[in-house]
Amino acid sequence: MIALLVLIPLASALAVLLMPQERQEEIRKITFFSCLATFFISVFVFLSYSAASGGVQFEISRPWVESLGIRYHAGVDGISAVMILLHGLVSFSGAMVSRSIKERVKEYSIFFLILVASIFGVFTSLDMFFLYFFYEMAVIPMYPLIGVWGSKNKEYATMKLTLFITGGAVLSLVGILTLYQAAGLQSFDLIALQEHFAASPLPAATQQWLAALLIFGFGVIASLWPTHSWSPIGYAAAPSAVSMLHAGVLKKLGPYLMIRLALTLVPEGTKFWMPIVAGLSVVNILYAGYCAMVQKDLKFIIGFSSVSHMGYVLLGLACLNQTGVSGAVLLMFSHGVMAASAFALIGFIYDQTHTRMVDELGGGLGNRIPFVAVCFVMTAMASSGLPGFSNFIAEIMIFFGAWQKYPWPTLAAVFGILVTAVYLLRLVKNVFYGKEKVSWPALKDAQGLAQKTPFVLLLAALLVFGFFPNLLVRNIDAGVKHLIAKNPSIFEVTP
Amino acid sequence: MNLAGFCSLLPEALVIALMFVVFAADLFLPSIKKRLGGLTAWGLTAILACLLWQGFLAGGQKFGETFQGTFLCDPMALFFKALFILTGIIVVILAREFLKKADKNPGEFYLLILSALLGMLFLASANDFILLFVSVELVTVSFYVMTAYLKTDQRSVEAGIKYLILGALSSGMMLYGISFIYGHTGSTHFDAVRGALFGMTSAPPLLLLGILLLIAGLGFKAGAVPFQLWIPDVYEGAPIPVTAFLSVGSKMAGFAALLRICVSVIAPFDKKWALLMAVIAAMTLVYGNLGAIPQKNIKRFFGYSGIGHAGYLLTAIAAGGFSGARGVLFYLLSYAVTMLAAFLVVVYCSVHLESDDMSAYDGLSRRSPLLAGALFLSLLSLAGVPPLSGFFAKFLVLSSAVEKGLIWLAVLGALNVVISLYYYLTLVKRMYIHPPAGGVIAVPLSFQIPLYLLMLGIVGIGVVQGPFVRLAASAVSGFF
Repeated sequence: MIALLVLIPLASALAVLLMPQERQEEIRKITFFSCLATFFISVFVFLSYSAASGGVQFEISRPWVESLGIRYHAGVDGISAVMILLHGLVSFSGAMVSRSIKERVKEYSIFFLILVASIFGVFTSLDMFFLYFFYEMAVIPMYPLIGVWGSKNKEYATMKLTLFITGGAVLSLVGILTLYQAAGLQSFDLIALQEHFAASPLPAATQQWLAALLIFGFGVIASLWPTHSWSPIGYAAAPSAVSMLHAGVLKKLGPYLMIRLALTLVPEGTKFWMPIVAGLSVVNILYAGYCAMVQKDLKFIIGFSSVSHMGYVLLGLACLNQTGVSGAVLLMFSHGVMAASAFALIGFIYDQTHTRMVDELGGGLGNRIPFVAVCFVMTAMASSGLPGFSNFIAEIMIFFGAWQKYPWPTLAAVFGILVTAVYLLRLVKNVFYGKEKVSWPALKDAQGLAQKTPFVLLLAALLVFGFFPNLLVRNIDAGVKHLIAKNPSIFEVTP
Repeated sequence: MNLAGFCSLLPEALVIALMFVVFAADLFLPSIKKRLGGLTAWGLTAILACLLWQGFLAGGQKFGETFQGTFLCDPMALFFKALFILTGIIVVILAREFLKKADKNPGEFYLLILSALLGMLFLASANDFILLFVSVELVTVSFYVMTAYLKTDQRSVEAGIKYLILGALSSGMMLYGISFIYGHTGSTHFDAVRGALFGMTSAPPLLLLGILLLIAGLGFKAGAVPFQLWIPDVYEGAPIPVTAFLSVGSKMAGFAALLRICVSVIAPFDKKWALLMAVIAAMTLVYGNLGAIPQKNIKRFFGYSGIGHAGYLLTAIAAGGFSGARGVLFYLLSYAVTMLAAFLVVVYCSVHLESDDMSAYDGLSRRSPLLAGALFLSLLSLAGVPPLSGFFAKFLVLSSAVEKGLIWLAVLGALNVVISLYYYLTLVKRMYIHPPAGGVIAVPLSFQIPLYLLMLGIVGIGVVQGPFVRLAASAVSGFF
């Protein structure tokens, strides 16, 4: 079942490859239906994951390279069930938004589908080899996707993004290989390795440098300060659907892999570094927040905002307690949906105005495009943590978790909420409210199902899970409890 | 020589026969003269089939030996021979395309390709220093002539002379080294030398000097720092099919000899040379990858990037042991398939665009999606991106380095992946992002078929790694 999440987009990419490039409409249809199918599967997986029984479900295990102990071992736990839903949602919306791509549709669709497949691959793999395989496979399609179909400074931005993320990835590859050799099991299987290291942990010094490779290697894609600089410029250059997937989902692979690899395999080493991660995450929150305040380009504002919000995720992770880590995973979901929605809306405006500068847009767009404006205001509210959206619940959980462990950084992080509110409210005011200073005669609001569905879908998810957070939290909690049960020593049990 | 001995020599004998056929046809049959390329390519394909049959019969065991054990047909030799003949076939296809434009007599060019190939085949089977030296010389001398083949082109002649001088120097070093080894062990036969080395309690300094000189001589072929200086200039000056043959065939020949000597002859001394190899590997990695960044000429570009790949191969040799040797073989398999695909595109572009400048590749994706797609796939595979074969090759190499505790070398190798990704992506940028520099380029079917097959190989080896890992493992398992 879950292997289909990878196979359907890959098979569709192959199908598109074999089609003549003139048949754009059919190519678009293939992309759309392939993402629709994976969306339904991801919803099904999410709904049928049983939080009560917990653990790994939907397991598949096939030998791949037997002499090295590589198996295609896939499965879903509480955390990945939520991430799969996120990716299903965002990639489907992304496929719908991609209709605005008019040039070289065939090549675009191939790279887009490979990207979608690889991210599903990461979220379903339980084998270190395949985790890395899919992870690196997800990074590379970004290069042509941004370089060819992007805007503003695209060649520089895409090279910087690819090299930064690959740099982080190869460092963690050395960590993965060291873990494989150190265990001596001749196996890349995460569950086997986890049990092995729980029974006979590595020496503390080894754990520390391994954890450093894994945490800071994957920290690059989570835009951990000071390796965040690829992120705003990359999003600004990327086409909408790619920004959506990158800010919404790909970035979450960083904290996800930290949980999967660092936290479970080198727990003591992770514990050693987490106070430093907490410190850096506060820099993320405040520094990126201030940067967002002075930006003039809509995508740069949201780009820095996403760097800032990843700070909350990492802070939650650094708490190493049930509340904090669950909050971090919930925020990964909520921020992912929110960021996707924001980039989709900005892309919608940019396609028609060909500018994203706040002062050039001139304000008052709310009168002309009320539907998009309302969606954007809702997204901004969600991002600033207004109750009613799931972001609020997530941030509260992170603060509760972090307060017990790092009171001062938490105080600074709470102040970050204020910073977020300032730049987002100002953006909303300057773009959508007030008088129209520039007239955009050709500007049209979102019309019809095809244009409205992605926005409605994403915002509906934020609202539904905002009012019924337990739908997500019970799955996440099942996953996090499992983590805690495996590594009781590094987690602080909350009263 | 009995029948079994002759059977183990069969591919070599057939290549010699093919040389006679080509020679005779070139002299006496003007009607076939035009189709000599096709004849050579098909002949080599038949020889490849014969070799695969040998491999099938051998089934992972030693197939046979002859000439008093100096010629050994073991799984590793068969593995390398298959790669050499594959390279030979593609180089003949490249040469045919190239010679269409150059107003030259094609017969002698094909003969030179075949004689270099014959040297490589003997080298893969050499189990004695004398045969090793003779086959290395056969390869190198054929390359001297091929490099200087464009007699009226100054750069080609200059490259030939440069290669001749440095090549002669390295042959001299190698022979001098062999003489020290012979002096201390009393034999040139690999098994006897290995036995003598096992018996030694301490290593005499002159014997170590001999080993060092031998490694230096082979390092020249493999393109290891500090013996790499000839590569960019010779690659640039040589006719482009020769560049392809040098960068795939000659480099593989260097590693075939280096690997056999490391795993079978001087294995008893592995502690002594492992660190030296690791340092050479590190320097080669950094030199090749940094050197490739500013290149503007596609031949020099592949020259430097090839030095970078030699760095990864030396990393695996430095790691040594079973996993290191397996890593070398898998890496060479992936490297050969990938580089041959890349050179099919590069030679075709070079002949039809009449430029070796990288700016000629601007907008190639819209001039010919097939050529651009194939080069894109090869470049990403060379950079080590999954799901392509180059990724798994680097994965095995780095894994073997980590296994032997060479973590620093593994980290350096990993960081070099990022550097190499940078310069490979600059070429991708030219092909996909820059506006096209001309009209559509048509590719004939005779070129499309090998291109598609090699592309399939790049993806296939990268996704279904199991059988190829088993193949590489069975080729080296006899030594451990």
